[in-house]
Amino acid sequence: MPTIATVVLVLFSAILACLIVVRPEITVTRAGKILAFGVLFFLPVFSLAVGVQNEMTRSESTTFCLSCHIMESYGRSLHIDDPSYLAAAHFQNHRVPADEACYTCHSDYAMFGTIKAKLGGLRHLYVYYLGTPPLPQDIKLYKPFNNQVCLHCHLGARSFEEGVVHNADPATLPAIKANKLSCISSGCHEMVHNVGHWGDVKFWYQKN
Amino acid sequence: MNRRLRISGVLVTIGLLVEGLCLMWSRPIAFVVLVVFGGMLIGIGVLFFLLSLASAAPDSAHASGLAPDKRQ
Repeated sequence: MPTIATVVLVLFSAILACLIVVRPEITVTRAGKILAFGVLFFLPVFSLAVGVQNEMTRSESTTFCLSCHIMESYGRSLHIDDPSYLAAAHFQNHRVPADEACYTCHSDYAMFGTIKAKLGGLRHLYVYYLGTPPLPQDIKLYKPFNNQVCLHCHLGARSFEEGVVHNADPATLPAIKANKLSCISSGCHEMVHNVGHWGDVKFWYQKN
Repeated sequence: MNRRLRISGVLVTIGLLVEGLCLMWSRPIAFVVLVVFGGMLIGIGVLFFLLSLASAAPDSAHASGLAPDKRQ
């Protein structure tokens, strides 16, 4: 939800703009001209900027991503009670912020990662409302998952750097770090969401 | 000038109301509506206001023969 302050600001700006519509003669005086400038230029531009920023922040939340019907199964996959499911293990153990779980793993940490994620989101909206959305189990990544997203947190961590499997072959770690050996599609951590292939799994729900 | 202010005010008001509704509407499409419709209305309203300022000031100054700040 947006902050109350943002909604109040927008409504306050709208009420003042209404005042100019109803009584434009108040702009005859110098103070009225300053008011008109504030009400018809500064406040709308400022309100719009704050509103867009608010929406941008909200679009990073887990609830925002899961508000599309097609994403419900992916939301449920975060609650699977099985640590071998990568997304569920990260979500339930707060290895990623629970309220920004989707965004954390599905946006690049590079300079334009956020912009790319937002543009991708617009494409999803287009397909969802105007195109033919695929079945949840048919949704695929546009390109192979980038190891750098994982390494943003795991690089340098003892469990990663000294992991038995990671060091079984001296070529493994360099290959992972160079993004030549994928973390999730090389037979290592390949159980991510696995929507449509759950079988008889149990679900975990956080107790409040 | 009053008519232009009114038009500008109406556009800005509607744009802000659209924005307010979008902020309380928790659906992904709300962002697009906010930017496309709200942003467009507010943008046109603000531009209309600025254009009305730019076009009104020289005419009025000409008519009264006074500098803009002495016309009141």
